[in-house]
Amino acid sequence: MNVTLESLAVCFQGLLPAQLFTCSSDGVPNAAYLSHVEYVDGQHVALSFQFFNKSRRNIAENPHALVSVIDPDTGQGWSLRLHFERSETSGPLFERMALRIEAIASYCGLKGIFKLRAADVYRVLAIDPAPEECGLASDAPSQHSGALDPVFTVKALQDLSARIHQADCLEGLVDSILEGLEASFGFKQSMILVPTEQEGVLVTIATRGYPENGAGAEVRFGEGIAGMVAEAREPIRISGLMRGMLYALAMHKAAKNPDPLRESRRVALPGLANPESQLGVPLLVRGELVGVLCLESEVPYRFHEDDKASIELLGSYLAIAIQNMQWQEQATEPAEPSAPLPPAASSPVAANGSDTHAIAYYAGDECILVDGEYLVRGLPARILWRLLKTHQSTGRDEFTNRELRLDKSLNLPEWKDNLESRLILLRRRLEQKCPAVRIVPRSRGRFVLNVESPVRLIDHT
Amino acid sequence: MISQALAGFLEQGLSLHIGTRDEQLRPSGARAAAVVVEPGGEHMLVFVADVAVARLLEDIRRNGQLAVDFGRPEDDRACQVKGSVLDVRPAHPHEREAVVRQWQGFLDQLEKIGIPRQMATGWAHWPATVIRMKVTAVFEQTPGPLAGTAIA
Repeated sequence: MNVTLESLAVCFQGLLPAQLFTCSSDGVPNAAYLSHVEYVDGQHVALSFQFFNKSRRNIAENPHALVSVIDPDTGQGWSLRLHFERSETSGPLFERMALRIEAIASYCGLKGIFKLRAADVYRVLAIDPAPEECGLASDAPSQHSGALDPVFTVKALQDLSARIHQADCLEGLVDSILEGLEASFGFKQSMILVPTEQEGVLVTIATRGYPENGAGAEVRFGEGIAGMVAEAREPIRISGLMRGMLYALAMHKAAKNPDPLRESRRVALPGLANPESQLGVPLLVRGELVGVLCLESEVPYRFHEDDKASIELLGSYLAIAIQNMQWQEQATEPAEPSAPLPPAASSPVAANGSDTHAIAYYAGDECILVDGEYLVRGLPARILWRLLKTHQSTGRDEFTNRELRLDKSLNLPEWKDNLESRLILLRRRLEQKCPAVRIVPRSRGRFVLNVESPVRLIDHT
Repeated sequence: MISQALAGFLEQGLSLHIGTRDEQLRPSGARAAAVVVEPGGEHMLVFVADVAVARLLEDIRRNGQLAVDFGRPEDDRACQVKGSVLDVRPAHPHEREAVVRQWQGFLDQLEKIGIPRQMATGWAHWPATVIRMKVTAVFEQTPGPLAGTAIA
């Protein structure tokens, strides 16, 4: 064959559904759309086996098959003449294909519905161009020209690295990562999530490119792209993948009735209305999950095949940068809590006027509502309540990370408490929902609680 | 066999593929441009660009077995019509309008899932060959556990 299978890897991104032709042992042909073609090596591809359908029964009787795929960069169609070799129900190939299917299902809230039964491996006997699907002339501009070159070039990675090195605190670091991803790679929509103190839950601490900042949005492991990445600890890339399937699954999801109480006490995860490409990268340091980086684009085929290795490298680099910054902040914070100050004569806390904010703490749910609207829950809620109560009773407005760590009532984990990331989350939620109360960093490990209009504290313990 | 409602779905301008096989039961297939369901729903005309039909003709004439797959990209609704060949002839000029209308409908569908119609600039739909087939079965093909269920 003149065309190599490697050169067709771009065709397997699923931008356009592939077509599978099979034939039964009694000579009846069958044509069906195919959800997933996976490049295996220079002589093999794998097809997803999800249902006991006619195509699968035909293959069991007659190992010959034909698959049609389209190059999303040029529009050129290709026919792959195949011969079935084996089914794999475990191992790296199966896991890779299963993860992709699970990610889509999970994105639509239907995790577990669409299971991969097997990765069916075929030898590729011949590759022929489809004469009725000629590609664009080589000098014609491709509509997906953004995908023609790898996204993660060494130059762009160097630029991102330089930007990251300038950050002097965790908040500055996560922001500079997202800014750098836009400046160096053009990724306008991105977010970073970190594990919470609750096992199996991620929380969003930084976003870029969305109308809402989304800080505080929680995702369980296994939920959506970010949750799947956290669970599998593998990058997940979706490139215009099975848009029709997403659409159908999204409609299915829309038919469900959400729990209004539960929904009212959740921050919605930001996201594009019609994402065409998504990429989730685990941020791992020696196997420990430091966070998850998620990127979105409205361009159908944004993340190139050649970017795979760079994506994993980038994830490791960002994870080390974040973890180092967390350790550095913790190691250099002030040794002693700031001395209590006398109560301020005109403290706005506990005042009661028309512009007074009602801040209610629900101990049972460990959550705080501001004027009846959900603000934050879990450890950030406990921290804010502790700060407000201290401020109310003593007038103090300056605090240190260290005193929070030493406060047993906050119940911070003794090891890897991620306090800095919780303070970032809390600061951003306040900016969004209660700007009258601000947490302002003063120096490393020290911050000020600014209460700029009267607040009324309501304790529901 | 094919109801009027189903014919309306099939003729709206979808992603179409036609498949057959050779004497060694090796499948062959190509993109089709349009279909017309004849009154009564027992027969269907499949329009295949001449450049595509060439590689199918020998198989079609030898065994006459056909499978035509229909997919609507915007929601993945799909079905498959199976049957046998009755006749193969060049498409008439007066049939071009219907083929072009369906082809444009298909390109509209591609745009709905983010594929610019320019990508299909080099894709052929005319001149075309008409394959007239007798419909023997129709199957649900929308992805999921019901794919493969006979619907006519």
